[in-house]
Amino acid sequence: MKAVITSIGVAIILALIFSLPALAQGSDTITITMTGVNDISISLDKTQWLLGEVAANTEYATSPPIEWCTLTVEGNCNVNTFIVGEDAEWIDNPSAYKWALSNDGTNGENVYGLWFRISGDTARGYVPITKTEGEFWPYSGGSSLAPEDTKQFGLKLLTPIYFVGGRQMQTQITISAVAA
Amino acid sequence: MMRHVELAELIAALLVILLPSFTLAQDFSFSISPAEVHIDNLSLGEAAEFELTIHNKEELAHNFTIAAFQPPEEERREGRAEFPDDSWISFSSQEIEVAANSAADVMVTVAIPLEQKWAGGDWEIWLGAAAESSDLLAVRLYVRLLVSTSRAKSNAGLIAGIIVGTVLLGWGGYYYFRRKAKPE
Repeated sequence: MKAVITSIGVAIILALIFSLPALAQGSDTITITMTGVNDISISLDKTQWLLGEVAANTEYATSPPIEWCTLTVEGNCNVNTFIVGEDAEWIDNPSAYKWALSNDGTNGENVYGLWFRISGDTARGYVPITKTEGEFWPYSGGSSLAPEDTKQFGLKLLTPIYFVGGRQMQTQITISAVAA
Repeated sequence: MMRHVELAELIAALLVILLPSFTLAQDFSFSISPAEVHIDNLSLGEAAEFELTIHNKEELAHNFTIAAFQPPEEERREGRAEFPDDSWISFSSQEIEVAANSAADVMVTVAIPLEQKWAGGDWEIWLGAAAESSDLLAVRLYVRLLVSTSRAKSNAGLIAGIIVGTVLLGWGGYYYFRRKAKPE
């Protein structure tokens, strides 16, 4: 009987000695890597467009048309940039009245168009700004913007064919950046 | 008289003030770091935490909002799939005020549910920070978050091996002691 107990005890100890390292490998080490000390930053030298009163079905462009605002890459990593627009809302009661932003730069009844144009970008010219984030720079697989690079651009607004007058409307265009 | 009223209504309908501005905001700038975060080997049912730092480079305090965004497929890193569920990412605060010329940290937690179907995932999602503003132009900065979960592992074979090994060793030991105890 003593032999049985001793044998089982020795067998368990031996099995554990060989199996514990293997079992321990089951719990992996989580690795969190922050890529360098990169910080991402872009700046715009203008954030407002003083437009005043507008007429229906009319185009308005910033002045100067395509060198109105300068985007500067200020971080220490290359970036890809994007642009997105939204519906214009009546400031006094945003849920009561809005102009929908068209998805191709055209206009309609209570539908308006927004465009941007980057200086030197002769291939695309004016590009519609839509509610889906689209390429600002680069486009079609071109080169990203490097630190201290700048891009000048302008905006164009096409007002709705028909809208309710006398209402202050407000919209926002967001330019975003991600590490290339 | 009727024609005059119609004309006045038409003129009124054509007039609107778009994009009002009372102050000219200029040269707004902030930064966020790091620009890219990799989390590797995140086990199912476990969570990982890291900090994002927002640096307000302005002379005025600003409120910043932080949220997760699904990037377009063509913008994701090679081999990365869409992050399955935004709700697995949480922030210590989704809105934070950063004083002028100061920085503030936001703690981000990524927690993966304990379900085998999420093992071996290689995903990408973007964390976007933007300053609250009513200006026409706004800036949003994205941090790339790349998450890989640990591969599925089963210890069933190992455990069975231990049991078999124990039985064999026990039997061998018993046999050895019995033979040794036998009188010559």
